[in-house]
Formats: sequence, C-alpha cells, structure tokens
Amino acid sequence: MKIQKTAVAGTMESSDIMVTIAPNEGNGMEIDLDSTVEKQYGKIIRRTIEETLKELKVHDARVHAVDKGALDCAIQARVKTAAYRASGEQSYQWGGEAK
Amino acid sequence: MYVEYGSPLNGRRLLETVAFLNRSGLDCEMGIEFSVNLLEDGKIVASGSMQDNVLKCIAVSKDCQGEGLAAKIVSELKLEAALQGKTHLFLYTKPENRSLFDALGFYKVAQTEHILLMEDLKNGVAQFVSKIPKAKAQPVGAIVMNCNPFTNGHLDLIANAAAECGFLYIFVVSEEKSFFSAQDRLRLVKEGTAHLPNVAVQPTGEYLISSATFPVYFIKEKDRAAEFNSALDLTVFAECFAGPLGITRRYVGCEPFCPVTRRYNRQMQRLLPEHGITVIERPRFSIGGEAVSASRVRRLFAEGRFEELRPLVPEVTYWYLMEVSAK
Repeated sequence: MKIQKTAVAGTMESSDIMVTIAPNEGNGMEIDLDSTVEKQYGKIIRRTIEETLKELKVHDARVHAVDKGALDCAIQARVKTAAYRASGEQSYQWGGEAK
Repeated sequence: MYVEYGSPLNGRRLLETVAFLNRSGLDCEMGIEFSVNLLEDGKIVASGSMQDNVLKCIAVSKDCQGEGLAAKIVSELKLEAALQGKTHLFLYTKPENRSLFDALGFYKVAQTEHILLMEDLKNGVAQFVSKIPKAKAQPVGAIVMNCNPFTNGHLDLIANAAAECGFLYIFVVSEEKSFFSAQDRLRLVKEGTAHLPNVAVQPTGEYLISSATFPVYFIKEKDRAAEFNSALDLTVFAECFAGPLGITRRYVGCEPFCPVTRRYNRQMQRLLPEHGITVIERPRFSIGGEAVSASRVRRLFAEGRFEELRPLVPEVTYWYLMEVSAK
C-alpha cells in the first residue's frame, strides 16, 4: 500500500490516539510519538504502529502519533484507518494482510 | 455535549462565539475560515478556529477546564485540516498555555511577550533552517522580500548590500498570496542575481512573512495597519534564522507607499538590535524622481504599458512578464 497524501484518524481524547500519516517517498518509516505513557509503553506503541503498517505493506511513511493512553487494539485500528485514508485504498482488509 | 461547525460561523452563532472568546480574554480575529464549538445546554463551553494553516482562538470556559475539551477541539481542527489537504499546521496561543499544547503534539517555534507560535512538526523550523547553505564569509546580511515581481529596486538594494557583506541571504516569500507565483518570484530573483557570487537566494518556507508568522501582511488594509504586531515574525527571523545562520545585518528598503510595510520596518528597527542584528534602511531606488516599486510595475503590467515598465525591471523580469501576458 502506498501513502499518497496526508491523512488523520483518531482523536486526542483520553484513551485514544491521533495518528497522522504522510508520504515519505523512499525514506522508509519515520515515527514521531508523543505519549502520556511514553516512559512505560513508548517502545511498545512504536512497535505496534510499525508492525501494523508492515502488515499493510506500507514501507515509506511519516507518522505523527499523539497518544493519550490508547490500548493496542485502538492503536492498530487508528493506524489502519489513517493508512487506508492516506493511500486512498478502499478495498479494506480489516482482518488479515493487505494485497 | 453538542458540537457545531462553521465554515466560517455567521449570524448569531458568530456573535456568541465572539462574546465567548472575549470572556476568555481572546479577540476573534478577521479572516477565520473554520470554527468548531462545543456546547452544553445551548451554551458554548469551548471553541477553536482555523485560518489558512493556523489554529487559533482556542478557548475553554473556566468551569470546564481539565475535562479534555481542548483536546477535543484540536482533534476536530486537525481532522478538518487533513480533509482540506493541509499537511503542516501552526497554532497560536498565549505563552502560559504551552504545556497544554505540548501534550497535544505541538512544538514551540518562537514566542513573544503575548503570543506563542507552535507547529505540529518536531524540530520543523530547525530542520528547515539546517538545510540552508552556510555563509562562506563574514559579515552575513539578509533581506526578506516578496519580489512581486522582481524589480530594479530590489536588484539595487541587493547589489549594494552584497557589496558591503561577506555573504548575503535573500529570502523570497513563499506564501502564495501574491499576483505572481512563489516559484516564479523565486526563479526571477535567482536568475537576476546570478552575477553576484556572494548571494544565496532561498525561499522563506512557511516561517517568514507567512500566514503563520505574519497574517496581517496579506490583508493590507490601511486602517488596520496601526493595530498589527509583527513582533512574532521578527522573533522567528532573529531566533530561528539569524542565530543559526550567523546573520548580523538586515537590509530593508524605505517604504514610501505601504503603511503595513512601513510599520514593519519601524518595528524591525526597534526589535532586531536586541538580538544583535543591525537594521540598515536604504532609500528607494528611483528613476525619473519616482520610486521603483513592484506595485507600480504591476499597475503598468495590468494596463499593458510594457515599454514604460521595461526600465523599471531587470531583463529577466521583462521577458517573464511578456511571456505571462502572451498566455
């Protein structure tokens, strides 16, 4: 899946995460994370974002995530939604791997 | 809680929003394009707005603070910005609110006594400036100009400044609010100054004389000229550009016509020396007793008087204007 434009999903309300994904042609994955639980879970959140994008076969992306203590499943859902919006892809594969 | 949107707000809803902002110690600014309000029992409890790519006028009523309403407002604004294809956002707030917006993914650009400018890119301005080539000789001067279009007045100011400086930066305004496109304005200055070896022509990006640092510049209403404050723009120049690039002089042309620019020059004289930058104001280059200005060139261009404008502009601009008029 290719990131074509900037897109956003989620909110910055408590227990949610706001994910902004932008194109990063040829520069791999760059993740900026601001989290209220950075100290405790920063690494895991970054890994979740990265793995979710890999699952969608996204290789180049600039991600800015503002986390307010979202659970793993919420992080995955927000990242997937933002990636689908940013790619313009509409054949959603919510469960498994992307084509 | 009920959410209402306005693109922009109008009528009674606008009046209620203005009153709410005034109670929170904020002015409702001109030119706002999108607003979002949160209401409880029909009363506004939080509000936020967007103008171009700047989030501003964000307020939460005193009794509702600490409930995460600012986060909801900023989320709504970011979502709308993304839908409009805006990729880089700025935010205005009072300096005392910094920690609130730090927690919402905004980073400080610069601040004055009254206003804090933030952006949603980590190290955005520092990275932008780090890509500008370093000066090769001292002293280092700078000119920020719009060049709409590039005239012999601009060239005269540049050539004289370049003769006095070891190295000279020309920052050409990138904001797309002028008659000629940013790309064309930048190209004309580059080509028109190519013979000056110690001059580097750079775009201002979104950081100097932009809708983020200096929104009033693009409104230019004479009666508002007395009200605006360019301290923010000058602070960004001094701290984010002049500091890292070693700039110690800023050159400007005297402004005989535009009250906004004239006031900007006056504030420059007052503020930049505090940062160790000397402001050097030069008389306008004139031909036949009349100052050469871009606005005069635009007027002649609009009236099709090409032979009259020809002595006012470098060759490269003249041929560009002929090309544009042929289209």
